[in-house]
Amino acid sequence: MKLGYIINEGVAGIRRSKMPFMNSVFSVTIALVLVGVGVLFVDNGLKYIGDLQADYDLEIFMQNDASSEEIQELATIISEYPGVIRMDYLSKQDAADLYSAEFGENLLTLLGENPLPSSLRVTFEENYRSSVYIQAFLQSMKQFETIDDVLFQKDLFNRIQVIMQTIYTIAAAAIFLVILVTVFLTANNLRLMILARYEFIEAIRLLGASDFMIKAPFFLEGGILGFLGGTFAVLIIVGLEQALAAFNVINLPVRILDYPEVILGTLLFGISLSALGVLKAVRRMLRFVA
Amino acid sequence: MISFENVHLRYDTGISLRDLNFFIDKDEFVYLFGPTGAGKSSILKMIYMDLFPNDGQVEIFNIGSSKVKRKEIAHIRQRIGMVFQDFKLLMDRDIYSNIALPLELRGLKPNEIRSKVVRKADEFGLRSRLNHFPHELSSGEQQMVSLARAVIDSPDILLVDEPTAHLDQESAAGVTDAIWKVHDSGTCVVFATNKVELPKREPARTISLVSGEIIIDREL
Repeated sequence: MKLGYIINEGVAGIRRSKMPFMNSVFSVTIALVLVGVGVLFVDNGLKYIGDLQADYDLEIFMQNDASSEEIQELATIISEYPGVIRMDYLSKQDAADLYSAEFGENLLTLLGENPLPSSLRVTFEENYRSSVYIQAFLQSMKQFETIDDVLFQKDLFNRIQVIMQTIYTIAAAAIFLVILVTVFLTANNLRLMILARYEFIEAIRLLGASDFMIKAPFFLEGGILGFLGGTFAVLIIVGLEQALAAFNVINLPVRILDYPEVILGTLLFGISLSALGVLKAVRRMLRFVA
Repeated sequence: MISFENVHLRYDTGISLRDLNFFIDKDEFVYLFGPTGAGKSSILKMIYMDLFPNDGQVEIFNIGSSKVKRKEIAHIRQRIGMVFQDFKLLMDRDIYSNIALPLELRGLKPNEIRSKVVRKADEFGLRSRLNHFPHELSSGEQQMVSLARAVIDSPDILLVDEPTAHLDQESAAGVTDAIWKVHDSGTCVVFATNKVELPKREPARTISLVSGEIIIDREL
């Protein structure tokens, strides 16, 4: 039945102090919206840059006299190379067709022969797209005499890598700072909310309530507060995403609804932030209460 | 039940209580009498273990102040009822909820709580006030609510700290009578007061304090 008291008191506490409670929900919502928008901004930025980088695949051009068996053997070796996510084969004929489609001229008619080599286009998994790794791959390709040349825009690739690293670092620092500030502001707000309940805490302490019985309803109240704050934050972020798309501002490739784990994380973060914040405020108050 | 042995209590501003020695048995009614600042409230605080002596030992229900654990303090307080001059009622709850609070904390079932609260409200003349809020009651009634809450769970000890300080004569008499009734039902009462007429009108053992020292411990 003590559980009954904890639940009743936790819910009644919300009813009795509607304004401070709503203030705290608002504060948690704002905190989580800031963090959520920050995460979305970074995710979308990185996705965009990642897509740019993915466009710069390796193109391996074969010697003109390479036999189809040699090409097949090389293709098998490359496709089994760690990190290779995709490999497309472009035959001499495919290359000639592409040329015709692009320039409107038939190479065979023009030159009497097809000088274009066959090639392999190699795409690496995101985790393997580092300059060092790809250089190592290129090194290992040198042993194959059937390869004539490899096209890899190293400078551009590296520049994109540097941009990604910078965005990662700046974004991580900014999000950390935002989290720090919001945690501080939320904790302060929750402390004010608990301070308004000083008389209640003092009274039940004098009536023989144990620390657990004092803290538990507040912990529950904090949990409800965080859940509401988290839910509102997710709804606001989804609304923002929809609005950006509806008004043709930008169609974000990464959306919160596509990532249930992010929604769950936001809710859990809100719940823990509030419940622990409330608990800390109560614990601090208990030091001063009879 | 309550034992003070060579108790000294020093505040930062100087010594507050010196060499207190007394024992209060169950079923006793004891006045702590003395002017403001004599140390009456400090003694009550040591009984409900909000204050701890610098020297000496306070023992409540055979639990010593020097070894008491935080959890035990809650248990001790569950056996002590307290009435303060400022009532310490919760203004955002009705009278029923105020009186029921200790029982809710003990985890009693709602129907048990209801019957106990109604019975106690009848006893203290508060039945018609159960749905009111404290600010709608007179000071005398608020103190009655405070008393009803203090004794709702039949404590072994009732501590009252200047309960009539802010009351008119009639209300003060009503509250004092109610406290005596609680004592008559078998509860040990420690009554802190600076009103000399109270021990005269309703005689009982009186511990008189001046500047933190017991000057008289007069048995009835």
